[in-house]
Amino acid sequence: MSLPAEAFMSQIAAAEPWPENATLYQPLKEDQILLSDCASSLAVQAYLRMCGLPVQVVCRVNAEYMSPSGKIPFIHVGNQVVSELGPIVQFTKAKGHSLSEALDDVQRAEMKAYMELVNNMLLTAELYIQWCDDATATEISRPRYSSPYSWPLSSILAYQKQWEVRRKMNAIGWGGKTLEQVYEDVSQCCQALSQRLGTQPYFFNKHPTELDALVFGHLFTILTTRLTSAELAERIKSYSNLLSFCRRIEQTYFEDKRS
Amino acid sequence: ISSIHILDPLPMKGPELGVQADDIEPPEIEQEPKQEVLENKDVVVQRVHIDGLGRTKEDLLTYEIAGVFRAKNLIDVMRKSHEARQKLLRLGIFRKVNVVIDTSRGEDALPNGLDVTFEVTELRRMTGSYNTMVGNNEGSMVLGLKLPNVFGRAEKLTFQFSYGTKETSYGLSFFKPQPGNFERNFSVNVYKVTGQFPWSSLRETDRGVSAEFSFPVWRTSQTLKWEGVWRELSCLARTASFAVRQESGHSLKSSLSHAMVIDTRNSSILPRQGGLLKIHQELAGYSGGDASFLKEDFEIQLNKTLFWDSVLSASLWGGLLLPIGDKPTSIADRFYLGGPTSIRGFSMYSLGPQSEGDYLGGEAYWAGGLHLYTPLPFRPGRGGFGDLFRTHFFLNAGNLCNLNYGEGPQAHLKKLAECIRWSYGLGIVLRLGNIARLELNYCIPMGVQSGDRICDGVQFGAGIRFL
Repeated sequence: MSLPAEAFMSQIAAAEPWPENATLYQPLKEDQILLSDCASSLAVQAYLRMCGLPVQVVCRVNAEYMSPSGKIPFIHVGNQVVSELGPIVQFTKAKGHSLSEALDDVQRAEMKAYMELVNNMLLTAELYIQWCDDATATEISRPRYSSPYSWPLSSILAYQKQWEVRRKMNAIGWGGKTLEQVYEDVSQCCQALSQRLGTQPYFFNKHPTELDALVFGHLFTILTTRLTSAELAERIKSYSNLLSFCRRIEQTYFEDKRS
Repeated sequence: ISSIHILDPLPMKGPELGVQADDIEPPEIEQEPKQEVLENKDVVVQRVHIDGLGRTKEDLLTYEIAGVFRAKNLIDVMRKSHEARQKLLRLGIFRKVNVVIDTSRGEDALPNGLDVTFEVTELRRMTGSYNTMVGNNEGSMVLGLKLPNVFGRAEKLTFQFSYGTKETSYGLSFFKPQPGNFERNFSVNVYKVTGQFPWSSLRETDRGVSAEFSFPVWRTSQTLKWEGVWRELSCLARTASFAVRQESGHSLKSSLSHAMVIDTRNSSILPRQGGLLKIHQELAGYSGGDASFLKEDFEIQLNKTLFWDSVLSASLWGGLLLPIGDKPTSIADRFYLGGPTSIRGFSMYSLGPQSEGDYLGGEAYWAGGLHLYTPLPFRPGRGGFGDLFRTHFFLNAGNLCNLNYGEGPQAHLKKLAECIRWSYGLGIVLRLGNIARLELNYCIPMGVQSGDRICDGVQFGAGIRFL
């Protein structure tokens, strides 16, 4: 966010405390939501739980279009609407809740770097697998994305989304990659994360930060989502400390969810 | 008899003989007996020609001119020729139609035989227009293409393309009347239209296709239409209310609609007499699509000329939107009320249910208006420019709300009758051609509810359809 926008946000947000009726919007869980959106939404949910801020999850067919930036998820707090993890972290910081206050500047820079890594590697890989791999796109992504709409609108929207994502992949240079190369990139990303995590409970020792929430959101979703091939999940499973990391966060923050 | 030319302008008020001075044989006293002879003389129309046809097919025109053959005397011939000329012009394929009535020539000419010739000039095959429009912080370039009489039977193809700084719209339309029966026609349209509605902080893009079939039944005009529209709604500004944000997204509407119109007014803008009844219903959801509702609306207008060239006009509008199934209605289907074209004294569509300053529209409404139109005081520019202006005194009232469909009709009527907004005032109306009118009014709004936005004092309005 730009500096004046940040300042503006802080001014407005700082005025009110976190309300009871804060809501998080995402597409329909059973039939519509895709891997990448589910991962982003889970990351935000994990972050808010780590901060101890209550939020209600509401599923809407048009959540993607309701969002001010077009990305899932977004939260509706008071009369403010904020989307995506980055701005949401800023927003909660303005209200006085933060997980990374205890970090010094070096650590904060490191955290930002790893978050960028996850966004550039894991998220992009998820989008690639969903929309650029023909098998997944035909069997899973397009049917799910178009399920709430009637024909011919369903086909139009699904193909439009696919073209849009493929254009974006070409623009960032992923258009020419094969599925194998993408799996390799995911493995390398996981290796970097695993090395940083080591034997610690969280990335920055005792207390979770937004980086933990982000990594958890993506890894947990990949591990629990059924795709056309289980290759992606397998690559992650080879790093046992990441597996126990996910399990730990799930048990600590989501145990009421499991029921 | 000397040849008689019948030219513009019309309508004829009586037998206009238009006899040229040199054609009359002197002395003048013989004119009167000549007129009597012409009026009472029985004639037979032997031939009717149409000169100047290019691509128009003749079978189309035989229906329009058939009436001329049935004329029995000269006055009848002139009247029937005039009617046939009107019919030919109405087809929209000729630029000019002249009628020439002459005595029959040739071998089989009867002594009282007449030949009627229609001299027509066809419209060009393709006409284009280019306009630039500027308004509301947006400039746009509008390109129009019209192909009248494409296949020779009065079919019309129009294409319009508007390219603006903010939005782009286009539309393609094909119209075909039934030969011999112009009132029965069908048309097919394909369009993309974008609208910005600042009163709701909403932007709507419609991409659709529609097919329409019109036919007259007794004195009414009926229209059946199927329409399939892909609607895309989005917020116009980041500050849009959450209620409007919730409506963002895509939906598909496939609807069948029927409209019935009885129009006995002498003009659609500032009529002096006659009435209008328009009933329209639309059923969406049974031919596919996401939207599912039944929509009814009606429009009644009655006009009566009073003493001293003043006209009293009363109008009533109403509508109801009934959602079918458990999905709520979309903001794109609801009714809106208020503004210089409906209840004057209120801002444009700024009446009724709203959320944080954005007006959401309502599922039921009614609006009534009572007007007294008089000529301008002291009648400046009488007989010319001044006749385009009228002063009017008005009283408007109406209500827009959402109904709770669980209750009965008594409860609905009660809800529509409470919190009535109304306004009164006076102003000046300017008539623009035969399609539009401009108004400048001084309005006093009353019955204002919290949430309504008013525009009391001077209000300007321009449009086609006014309450």
